[in-house]
Amino acid sequence: MSAKNNLKISEKTAKLNELVTWFDSDDFELEQALDKFTEAEKLAAEIEHDLLALKNNIEIVKAKFNEAE
Amino acid sequence: MEKMPSLQFSVSDFIALTNQTLEYAYPGVEVEGEVASFKVNQDKYVFFDLKDKGGSIGCFMTVWQLRVPIEDGMKVIVTATPKLTQWGKFSLTVRAVRPSGEGNLKKSFELLRAKLDNEGLFAVERKRSLPRLPQHIGVISSTQAAGYADFIKILDDRWGGLQVDVTQVQVQGTGAPDQIIRALNYFNSRKQLPEVIVIIRGGGSADDLSAFNDEPLVREIAKSRVPTLVGVGHEVDVSLADMVADMRAATPSNAAQILVPDRHDTIREVRYQLQSLLPRTEQAVQRYHHDIHRQLERSIEAIDRRYAYTSERLGSLQRVLAELDPKKVLARGYALTRGEIAPGKLIEIEKSDILITAEVQHVSKK
Repeated sequence: MSAKNNLKISEKTAKLNELVTWFDSDDFELEQALDKFTEAEKLAAEIEHDLLALKNNIEIVKAKFNEAE
Repeated sequence: MEKMPSLQFSVSDFIALTNQTLEYAYPGVEVEGEVASFKVNQDKYVFFDLKDKGGSIGCFMTVWQLRVPIEDGMKVIVTATPKLTQWGKFSLTVRAVRPSGEGNLKKSFELLRAKLDNEGLFAVERKRSLPRLPQHIGVISSTQAAGYADFIKILDDRWGGLQVDVTQVQVQGTGAPDQIIRALNYFNSRKQLPEVIVIIRGGGSADDLSAFNDEPLVREIAKSRVPTLVGVGHEVDVSLADMVADMRAATPSNAAQILVPDRHDTIREVRYQLQSLLPRTEQAVQRYHHDIHRQLERSIEAIDRRYAYTSERLGSLQRVLAELDPKKVLARGYALTRGEIAPGKLIEIEKSDILITAEVQHVSKK
């Protein structure tokens, strides 16, 4: 998984935070709460999956540093 | 027996030949001794004597080759080439000098620390924050070192999706500082700069770690465009490279911990956030229930008040009505008269208990 996916994770985390905040805000409406909760549950599962799937790309630089160029 | 012809040279040629011979015999020699008569001429040339109980040799080097501060009385090891000068004086042309023994390493460390501190290189105001979650990391280390393996293992465990470029350098010995400087320059001149440069090396002796107290290296770290994180040795080891870096890590593993969050902590946090929503919803339902109950109570109270008011008003009207009842007036002794009031006419007079028929005899105004 590339670095691009990290951005997606951060977007998902931001969206999850937004949803959590909604539950504490004046906008909270009981009628919408179930939909919002389902959305949060889905996001949380995706974030967990994405985080566990992330792999680092470690590259050894080919340039040599043992003598001045 | 024929005598070998003696070789004949000019003075200059003989000096040149001697130097060639010396260079061939001792291309690089390390000599240990105590520094005496240390001086710097024109801010460029360094002269000192290296001595022990049995003798003394003059040494020459340039200021830029002197990577660590030295002073009279300090025991050092010089890497040098022996040379006969054109004035016939024997000396060592020094390429590198390093303090010998823990006490001298420490002394040199303190001298350089004081000098760089005086220039403000370690000032807190110079420190830059590291990115919260860097996507592109430049690593300077020896890939053979245990410290490097620890760093990569912890980094992989904690987070992923990162681009990690690793420059392979020596992390001890006389060549190490220059290699690290070149690696720093490499990262700082990239078109796509890494967001942070990490310099790591595992534990070692004071001499092993002395590469990280090299003045040009410390200055190069200080001027890095990219923020730096240095994790060298164990927790107790403090190098000047640590001190000048934007952030110091106690160990290579600690460097990985500083760089990225632990994905397992993030997952726990996400789960906690989700779990916290249910009680919040329950609280909201209870709040709604309480509000509705309260509104109902208020409505009942309002109806009760209205009923009481109406009942009271009705009672009062009933009392007024009762007072107006003609029977009550008759009971008090009054009489009700019916019929035409004119002389000779018959009228009916009603009292509370009797009815009287009477004739009108006379009518006059009061």
